[in-house]
Amino acid sequence: MKLTPVALLLSGLCAVSLAAHAQQAGEPVYREYTGYIDYGKSPKASDDARHTGTWEHWKDRAKLDEKRVASAEDQWTTNWKFMDPPFDGSLHGGHEAQDRGEELYKQLNANGRFATCLGAKRGDLKSLRLQYPQYNRTLKRVVGMEQMIEHCAQQQGMKLENGSYDNTAVSVYITAFSNGMPLKIDVTRGPLKDSFERGKKLFHTKAGWTNFSCATCHVSIVGRSLRGQTPTTHYGDIAHWPTYRTKDELQSLHVRFAECNRNAGVQPLKIGSQEYTDIEVFMTALSNDYPVAVPSARD
Amino acid sequence: MRKQLLGLCLALVGATPAMANDALPSNLLYDASRPNKTIWPLPAKNMGELKWNDHRQDLSRWPTLSYEDKRPTAKPRKVELQGPLNGDAENGKKIAMNTQRGNCWACHVLPGDPQGGTGGPPLMNVGSWGYTDAHLYQQVFDRRVANPDTFMPPYGSNGVLTEQEIRDVVAYLQSLK
Ligand code: HEC
Ligand code: HEC
Repeated sequence: MKLTPVALLLSGLCAVSLAAHAQQAGEPVYREYTGYIDYGKSPKASDDARHTGTWEHWKDRAKLDEKRVASAEDQWTTNWKFMDPPFDGSLHGGHEAQDRGEELYKQLNANGRFATCLGAKRGDLKSLRLQYPQYNRTLKRVVGMEQMIEHCAQQQGMKLENGSYDNTAVSVYITAFSNGMPLKIDVTRGPLKDSFERGKKLFHTKAGWTNFSCATCHVSIVGRSLRGQTPTTHYGDIAHWPTYRTKDELQSLHVRFAECNRNAGVQPLKIGSQEYTDIEVFMTALSNDYPVAVPSARD
Repeated sequence: MRKQLLGLCLALVGATPAMANDALPSNLLYDASRPNKTIWPLPAKNMGELKWNDHRQDLSRWPTLSYEDKRPTAKPRKVELQGPLNGDAENGKKIAMNTQRGNCWACHVLPGDPQGGTGGPPLMNVGSWGYTDAHLYQQVFDRRVANPDTFMPPYGSNGVLTEQEIRDVVAYLQSLK
């Protein structure tokens, strides 16, 4: 059985088509990544001191430097903490949302099951926010608190879509019971560790027409102006969410991710998607040790 | 023998999922029935459901962060500028200073824009830096060829600007003295 040149050529083509097939089946597709900074195994907000070096200017919300806050050039180094309580205690749409959240919560929890479903012990909302994101045994996946609010509300017969105003309002109401308490999620083991690793990778993955990653702005361009907008550090960002965006509405974290995506020319993903949840886990770990403060506002 | 091999090859090609590389992931904020396909959520007050806004362009054409997305990122591409530049500097300026097209001003200071970004070097007088048209054409087409870590978007490789539009932008850049 001698192979003719034509047969050889054909078998060569076969090999090529096999290789192409193998790539589709298992091998990773070609992607580019922004270089990782050293996050360590168990990150915390103060690690920012090693990266953008702005930590000292926002570590204590009560003692921000007024001059820095008012400075066009250096304001970004305060990581916008001047719009959080206690530095800014003025009334805004976030407080209105908190009241709406309380009203909805009382309706939802009339039989006590809503709080239990969310994981509150004996209906006590104190520190409930600190349990999230978590691996949830019922849903068999890592979830943020807003995803669980949607799920538990549904069990009480109410539709509170993740990302909607009412879902986010309930989130603000619950989160406020953890005011002053530092975020603390353990990403050193189990499903949260896997989620953290995936989120870290996603945060550095380039996509969209711009070929930008989240890190393009929040690491590479941090502190430089993008025509009037200056990206700040990605450390310490999660403790004031959900937040009230003064230019439009109450906003949940995943809706913010969708906004950053489209601003950067990247197709946004569904609110509550595993991808956004993994990024949430990654960013929450980077806010560990930083105290919760809601209702907050952001421009 | 030949027939057998050919048959095997066809079978293999057939086994390759036909649209696998182009299929859109299922978890995008995407609605085929809307004008620009890409949508974004608006948390309308006192509502338990989201409302949707249209984004200004269809972003689903480019790779996303979805785990389902098997479309590869465009690889860095070296290009040769063919023939004379023939660029329209006036149109190039419009592209450079349009947030939805070139959006060069997001990162570069250009004449007549006091707000210009500082992500990249100011290009106030880039026309006097002594660069050839071919060099500038490559930078706008895909700067990753010169600097793999650059964050300047690959306008040509990603199909954001056409070849003629890049020629126009280069003509504009060369006019900045
Ligand atoms: C084109 C640049 C750009 C890209 C890319 C980008 N962002 Fe942003 N982002 C900004 C700017 C500017 C702000 C507002 C200033 C700030 O807080 O950094 C912001 C704000 C944020 C905030 C709110 C911070 C706060 O203090 O409330 C979060 C969270 C965030 N970005 C996450 C992300 C994530 C996740 C990605 C990737 C999916 C991403 N960003 C991609 C520019 C960008
Ligand atoms: C996201 C930021 C960003 C955007 C948007 C951007 N650039 Fe750049 N550009 C850079 C950076 C950063 C550099 C510096 C070199 C590097 O890091 O690759 C650069 C360098 C350049 C250079 C100098 C190249 C050299 O060889 O010295 C030119 C010319 C240029 N850009 C033109 C443009 C034009 C034209 C556009 C719009 C079509 C544009 N840039 C959009 C970031 C950007």
